[in-house]
Amino acid sequence: MDPTVVAQATGDWAFVLDNAPYLLVGAVLTVVLTVVSMLLGFLVGFPAGIVEVYGGRVSTFLVETVGIVLRGTPIVVILIFMYFVFSTPSLTLGLFDVTVTLSDAFIASVLGLGLRSAAYQSQIFRGALQSVDEGQLEAARSVGMSKLEAIRHVVVPQALRRSIPGFQNEVTIVLKDTSVVFAIGLAELLTRSYDLFVRQTTAVLEVVLFVSAIYFVLTFITNRGLDLIGSYYEIPGGEQA
Amino acid sequence: MSDNEHTYLLEVDRVSQSYGTEKVLRDISFEMDRGDVTVLVGPSGSGKSTMLRCVNRLTEIDSGNIYLDGERITGPDVDVNELRKEVGMVFQDFNLFAHLTARQNIMLGPRRVLGLDKEEAGKRADEHLEMVGLTPQADSYPGELSGGQQQRVGIARALAMEPKLMLFDEPTSALDPELIGEVLEVMRDLADRGMTMLVVTHEMSFAREVASEMLFLDGGKIVERGPPEQLFDRPEEDRTASFLRRITEMHS
Repeated sequence: MDPTVVAQATGDWAFVLDNAPYLLVGAVLTVVLTVVSMLLGFLVGFPAGIVEVYGGRVSTFLVETVGIVLRGTPIVVILIFMYFVFSTPSLTLGLFDVTVTLSDAFIASVLGLGLRSAAYQSQIFRGALQSVDEGQLEAARSVGMSKLEAIRHVVVPQALRRSIPGFQNEVTIVLKDTSVVFAIGLAELLTRSYDLFVRQTTAVLEVVLFVSAIYFVLTFITNRGLDLIGSYYEIPGGEQA
Repeated sequence: MSDNEHTYLLEVDRVSQSYGTEKVLRDISFEMDRGDVTVLVGPSGSGKSTMLRCVNRLTEIDSGNIYLDGERITGPDVDVNELRKEVGMVFQDFNLFAHLTARQNIMLGPRRVLGLDKEEAGKRADEHLEMVGLTPQADSYPGELSGGQQQRVGIARALAMEPKLMLFDEPTSALDPELIGEVLEVMRDLADRGMTMLVVTHEMSFAREVASEMLFLDGGKIVERGPPEQLFDRPEEDRTASFLRRITEMHS
């Protein structure tokens, strides 16, 4: 084998390793984006799912319509809309001595990814709520619980358990979709990998493999983590009711 | 109702109910005294379960009145949650809360509705578990219990609210034959303790032994009512006779 080729390959891996810290900062941003977006998605999507199942005609229609629009729009379009049209402001948060400034692009990304995820999460929760047998609600009502109490103490705890597999999927999707924020210039994992292989064009494969490995580790950890939560909360004897 | 009049525990007064255009109950009237066990029998679709569900307003009536302890419980001004504290219900499919243990199933109502603290509710749950003979299963989940055990928890759950009246909607119909006995035994025991019970069932031996009165419903109407001996041994209506003969043969 031509010794220069070997040297070249080694050089490209060395290049990746030299720049690993640069990529890992991007990975941290990817994780933060995912967590915050998922959280926003949950806080908005869960009540939205409840409204879709138990809400009145008007509220259900409104929530469904917003959901259809968000699910029917490409994520890049949503992000561009948030950033350029809605022009999100930057935000400075102070907690004790620490102040963090969140860039306008970060805010736009969280809103875009989070609200779109809310639209998908609402469907996960809607399905889970509907899958809980009607008799459960009726039994709770029959001991004098109000509809709200019955939903809260009887239906929701069962529905949340059933939504874990769908939620698991959603985390994986959002995690990978954070890569789309390069469209508005946020330097997350994929944006940084692009910067790198533009600098050293022979290292495209090495950079992409390395970044893929990071994505794989991240999705693997979240999936295993949610598996553990799922089995921790699993109802002994199953959910026959 | 005036004060000097005798107040029944339950009085059903000319109740009618329909689903869409389908008339389910037509002008039903009957009454129960404290300690009565009234058994509703009749072919499927005769309105028995609907009648039962109207008493705790899981189903709403179209016309007529229902009184519990002299108080009208029908009408838009009645707080259904208050009513349901007084009227326990046992379901055909048990409907135990699947994510809670037997003990927690019984505790939920007393805690959330009656406002008992955890300790009091737990004590009450333990008493009722003992009453239905399930102390060892206190921490089992519904999925870990047999159908008969689940239904006994269902009875304990309703009893823990200390209701004035218990409704049983075909409590043994979903059970394997060998598990029916244990549930009927608990119900018999309850009747002996003086609980007022309105029961929809096809268990004719239970009806004959325990009922103070039987109502035979067909097509949403009471065809015949009276003590079980009358309905079984000298029914006045042919429909009563042929229905009871058929159902008794089927179950023996």
